[in-house]
Amino acid sequence: MPVPRIPRPPLRRFALGNGLRVLLAPIPASPTVSVWVWYRVGSKNEWPGVTGASHWVEHMLFEGSPRYAKGQMDRAVVAVGGESNAFTDTDFTAYLTTVPREHLAVPLDIEADRMTRALIADAEVERERTIIHSEREGNENWPEFRAEEELYQLAFRVHPYRWDALGRREDIERMTPAELRAYYRRFYGPRNAVLVVAGAFDARAVEREVRRRFGRLPASGEDVTVGDVEPAPRGERRGELSGPGTTPFLTVGWRAPALDDPATPATALVDTILGGESRLFAAGGGWARSSEHPGARLYRALVDPGLAVRATSEWRPRVYPGLFTIQAQAADGVGLDRLEAAVSDVVARLARDGPTVRELRDARTKIAQGARLAYEGASRTAFRLGYFSVLKSPEFEERILRALLRVRAREVRDRARQMFRTEARVTVRYTPTPEGPDA
Amino acid sequence: MPESRTPLRLEYRPGPAGLTIAYQAAPPGSASVSATYVAPAGWGFDPPARRGLARVVNAVGASAAGPYDRVELARRLDALGAAVSRQAAPESAELTIGGPADRWRTLLEILGHLVLRPRFDRDDLARVRRQVFERQSREMTQPASRADKELLAELFPGGHPYGATGLGVRAGVARLTRDDLVRFHGQHYTADGALLVLTAPLRPSVLVGFADHVFRGLPGHSAPTLGAPAARTGGAAVRMVPLPGSAQVEVRVGGRSIARTSELYPAAFLADEVLGGRPLLARLFQRVRERGGLAYHASSELEAMRYGGYWIAQAGTGPERWRKVVPMLHDELDRLRSEEVPERELRTTRESSIGAIPLGLETTAEAHELALEAAYHRLPEEYWVTWPDRLRTVSRREVREAAAVAFDRASQRTVLAGPGLDD
Repeated sequence: MPVPRIPRPPLRRFALGNGLRVLLAPIPASPTVSVWVWYRVGSKNEWPGVTGASHWVEHMLFEGSPRYAKGQMDRAVVAVGGESNAFTDTDFTAYLTTVPREHLAVPLDIEADRMTRALIADAEVERERTIIHSEREGNENWPEFRAEEELYQLAFRVHPYRWDALGRREDIERMTPAELRAYYRRFYGPRNAVLVVAGAFDARAVEREVRRRFGRLPASGEDVTVGDVEPAPRGERRGELSGPGTTPFLTVGWRAPALDDPATPATALVDTILGGESRLFAAGGGWARSSEHPGARLYRALVDPGLAVRATSEWRPRVYPGLFTIQAQAADGVGLDRLEAAVSDVVARLARDGPTVRELRDARTKIAQGARLAYEGASRTAFRLGYFSVLKSPEFEERILRALLRVRAREVRDRARQMFRTEARVTVRYTPTPEGPDA
Repeated sequence: MPESRTPLRLEYRPGPAGLTIAYQAAPPGSASVSATYVAPAGWGFDPPARRGLARVVNAVGASAAGPYDRVELARRLDALGAAVSRQAAPESAELTIGGPADRWRTLLEILGHLVLRPRFDRDDLARVRRQVFERQSREMTQPASRADKELLAELFPGGHPYGATGLGVRAGVARLTRDDLVRFHGQHYTADGALLVLTAPLRPSVLVGFADHVFRGLPGHSAPTLGAPAARTGGAAVRMVPLPGSAQVEVRVGGRSIARTSELYPAAFLADEVLGGRPLLARLFQRVRERGGLAYHASSELEAMRYGGYWIAQAGTGPERWRKVVPMLHDELDRLRSEEVPERELRTTRESSIGAIPLGLETTAEAHELALEAAYHRLPEEYWVTWPDRLRTVSRREVREAAAVAFDRASQRTVLAGPGLDD
């Protein structure tokens, strides 16, 4: 299959003396500019006692810096019609601001100010503690979150992927402002960041602005390699949860390769064939994407015959080996044993026979077509450039696309064989209770 | 075929058999199209014994149509890099297709199949039915969904379409047959009273001409009209829905509101932006989250529909904190209705709302949302172009007066759903 050209705008790339990597993507027709700062810090960098620190620091970066008192960052962005947000993952933290094209100076000024000088004041940390709890509680209202958190906790005993980026309740309760400040000082700074600007601007002028605003910052920010290597599992691990919910819910996981592992392209194809998502190259990012993939194997095996109302797989690209997971929500009257047996059968068949010619062709087509509109709009452009840069490099996107489109049926089968081993399986079963124990 | 027209400006064109076609240019540089068919086919038209029918028709109809069964349709869309989405509301139902602009003809043909020739395969009906059962159950057990459901029922009792979420009840959905779906589709997926909204980087004459050809087969008979349902007053001022085992209490305060075409709408829109609609800046966010440190989310929304609407102020908070949060929501609502918004706050909110318009024009799909809203309410072609000027003429007094009407106090109800509540 021919590899489609990814319609990425031309890039202006440079690095500052303090280590900050910068990507400028001019899109002359854009009505907006979108500024993203990506830090290579996430829950992978935490340790027991400070789980959730990356996420908490993310919140604190909106709560004051030398030039922006509490609330003023939000005010400065919103006053010009902009939007601002941030999110924390296992492997990175990203800050994003999109503003009308004439207001680029606003986000650049904010990001430069908080990159190394966020205040993280004691009183603000205490106030934010309850908000972090509240965010976590909001997630706990969903059985899917509870089950996934349990799954990762069971699957990893050593590696920091074993806790969610929101952190453990007990650590949120205990963590001190001083610990958060120390965490911030260690990991935040130009050396550990990628700045991406996409939208309507003159690249040369913006480069001058970036050099002026960010060039004087100290060369701080550690990009730490996580040394904890998760040992290979020696047997199946299982967990049972119960609580409020609708029908029984099942999530199953297996160890999956890291992003730069040669096995990654075939793993991604396994994901597309089983669950239907083309993940890195999903079409329709700008319009409502359907979560229904009637051609995918899990759908045909579980949803069509009435065993489940939803069934999908998920492989998340990660810096270190993570999990390949399958989730299924039972249909009314279907028990977990039956659901689990059906999931086992689906993965066993792929491991035994591999994909059909048509399945593989369809998966490749889906990925190739998804890449065509991947760069519509300044915000999405800045997101993609930053995402691939913080995980690997901007070029990685094209490399992995080429690799995905070259994967052969035999490789998918072998990957499935290698991955879907019973002794490497982790299973969490969630049983709804009419009235669960009060939290 | 590049098109350099300004996005935001709608053009209405007559379509076949009374269908209204609305065209809007895609944002400059965009390479995709979005097309939506909107029918007077919302759950307000559900027969009493078959509540849930409109949503099921919408879902099953979007699964397979014309030459495509469910799997073939999905494959075709994947091969085009396209996607289909659907939505049902009290008054209407929508089918949307989006994809690369160079495949626009094929995309419109597929939308035409979905609208004109849905298969309503029995297997698809059975599958959607199972999915609806699960969602009905989720509405009862998930705090946010339950709070929304209970609030709407409190605000619009007695079978009013705005008082339901359209999922119906199990018995009603269980008895639906393929014939029910076919009949409902035949009555409601018509040309008359329906709308085709197109947002594309293409010349409207070419696009509309082809759309006219594709949708020529739409039945021209008059679709039933919903009319303006009367809302009865009822329910308790505060309702608690204990959901033991959940982690967070979802708080909803709401009341009845104005129609989208009301003259009060621009001022009411600004009132909502001040209260909780404008992210980060709004009073609820500032008071409950930023100053109070009591909740992760606190916001408001104004849902103005064709025959009226409702407003909601909402927050999610811990079981030990809701007693502090609820008075804050009530207090801010009373302040909005009784006091004029300070000039500086109104100016900032207004300019922020106006400044945000370009953010809705990054992609065709985003611009399409604006076109859909204007077209559905038959707003003037220049509506979004003149919207900033309209907002700039709104005074502090007008915001207060609009808030008193659009954030109606008399119908105000409070619903809490979550752990640690007494029934």
